[in-house]
Amino acid sequence: MTLAEIIDRLGLQVRAGDAALRRDVERGYASDLMSDVIANGLEGDLWITLQTHQNTVAVASMKGLAGIVLVNSREPEPDTLEKARRESIPLLVSELPAFELIGRLHGLGLTGLRA
Amino acid sequence: MRLEEVQRILEARPAWTVRLPRNGEREVVSCLATDLMSDALTTTGEGSLLLTGLTNSQVIRTAGIVDLAAICFVRGKSPQPETVELAEKMGVRLLVTDLSMFEACGRLYEKGLRAAVGDEGDCRTRE
Amino acid sequence: MSDERVTKLQELVYELRVGEIMHEDVISVSPETPMSELREILRINRISGTPVMRDGSLVGMISIEDFIRWLVKSDGDCRVEAKMTRDVRTVFADEPLIQAVNKLERFGFGRLPVLDRKSGKLAGVLTKGDIIEGLLKKLEIDYHEAEMMGARSSHVFEDIIADSSALLFEYQVPGKDFTRAGACASGLKTTLRRLGIHPQTARRAAIACYEAEMNLIVHTDGGRIEARVDGRAIRIQALDEGPGIEDVARAMQPGYSTAPDWVRELGFGAGMGLVNIDKCADRMEIDSTTGKGTRIEVEILLETEP
Repeated sequence: MTLAEIIDRLGLQVRAGDAALRRDVERGYASDLMSDVIANGLEGDLWITLQTHQNTVAVASMKGLAGIVLVNSREPEPDTLEKARRESIPLLVSELPAFELIGRLHGLGLTGLRA
Repeated sequence: MRLEEVQRILEARPAWTVRLPRNGEREVVSCLATDLMSDALTTTGEGSLLLTGLTNSQVIRTAGIVDLAAICFVRGKSPQPETVELAEKMGVRLLVTDLSMFEACGRLYEKGLRAAVGDEGDCRTRE
Repeated sequence: MSDERVTKLQELVYELRVGEIMHEDVISVSPETPMSELREILRINRISGTPVMRDGSLVGMISIEDFIRWLVKSDGDCRVEAKMTRDVRTVFADEPLIQAVNKLERFGFGRLPVLDRKSGKLAGVLTKGDIIEGLLKKLEIDYHEAEMMGARSSHVFEDIIADSSALLFEYQVPGKDFTRAGACASGLKTTLRRLGIHPQTARRAAIACYEAEMNLIVHTDGGRIEARVDGRAIRIQALDEGPGIEDVARAMQPGYSTAPDWVRELGFGAGMGLVNIDKCADRMEIDSTTGKGTRIEVEILLETEP
């Protein structure tokens, strides 16, 4: 499923990275700890987090993640937004809490298994 | 949902070592997935299961403050002995699953568990 | 009166029996003891008064006040029996504590001899200190952690009866020490619940306290948290001599954080601390001077009548 389809199905709002929404996404990863994502995030993962600071973009870029979804209507900090735009990392916002959003993503067929 | 059921769905194992009173076990009414304790603190977490990748004692203290039903550590991260000890003292039930946060949430959601009320609400609001 | 106020103390004053909290190992003097020796007896035993006993029977009470009066008069040494109070008020060990509180208040005594109802013999002595300690112990609150407000303990008794007893709790929070982070908030919550405070209110106070505690740990070399509980509200004060908050308005914005990465890795520092405190409080005040320190005061009102 492409990122664009997911955005459409779950009503996510796009804050940055419009040009990179064609990418196929099969897996999700949920964490609010940078070190965890650095260690365990896999290329192509859609990252669900509450963290809004710019380090998230750096981590997403470094690990080749498909994008970042901020939950609970958290808005990215200005420098996070700027960095995401510059690096063309999709930065999305959902008003749902993490559990709910992940549940729905899982329902759409995304898996969290680390195969 | 009973904790036993959660344990089965997540293929999880209990992390406590002492015998905890059976009547201390509570029904899991909702779920909360976060690694940020500030987030957990302002969610109406009473009776919730907290899924988290953090295993320090602050997680247990947070559980005590918001009256969580239980905590499940994801990614197979076993808590430090001090964390377990504190949890046992406070009667907080701990599970460990090898699943990732994403997969654990997905499976519980599929079985009907829903999110705890989010932090957008003011905690001054009466329940 | 709302039953969600600080009611446990009031209940306990009726529930507890004098015999449960009096001290039994009573120091006593005989009527023949010279007044000149009294001061030393009181000093060594760290007491401010003692029963006077003859052949196992209570014949009077002698206190440090009696001793001072004797000193001022300076008319030579005499026996304790000449200066003691003979008209002694007593309580029975099986009486509820409220009886003792009333007697202490009415007659302005510092201590009451306690008699066994059957034998009429002295069973122990009850002081105001015993009452405070006994009540706190019953609530399982550490005597050293909690201190009744007001220098004069007699205040306490008026207050207990007037339904506005104030309790003061003080916690020292060491800086950069994550291992004990949250201990103060947990302790406060337990205490508030034991005082009979509504769970929702206790939780709000604990959350505000937790965030304030984290701020002290993350940003300062340590500080102090004080919580004061009376019949109306819980007031929490966090005080430090740390770096201060440069821009308070900005710090109040959700997500704004100056916490280093290692703090974020511990699940904190996501810029929600002050926001959470404000959310939980009925009133919040921040006093901060860069380079001097910060004082955050939070007030959480107790549930009023519905």
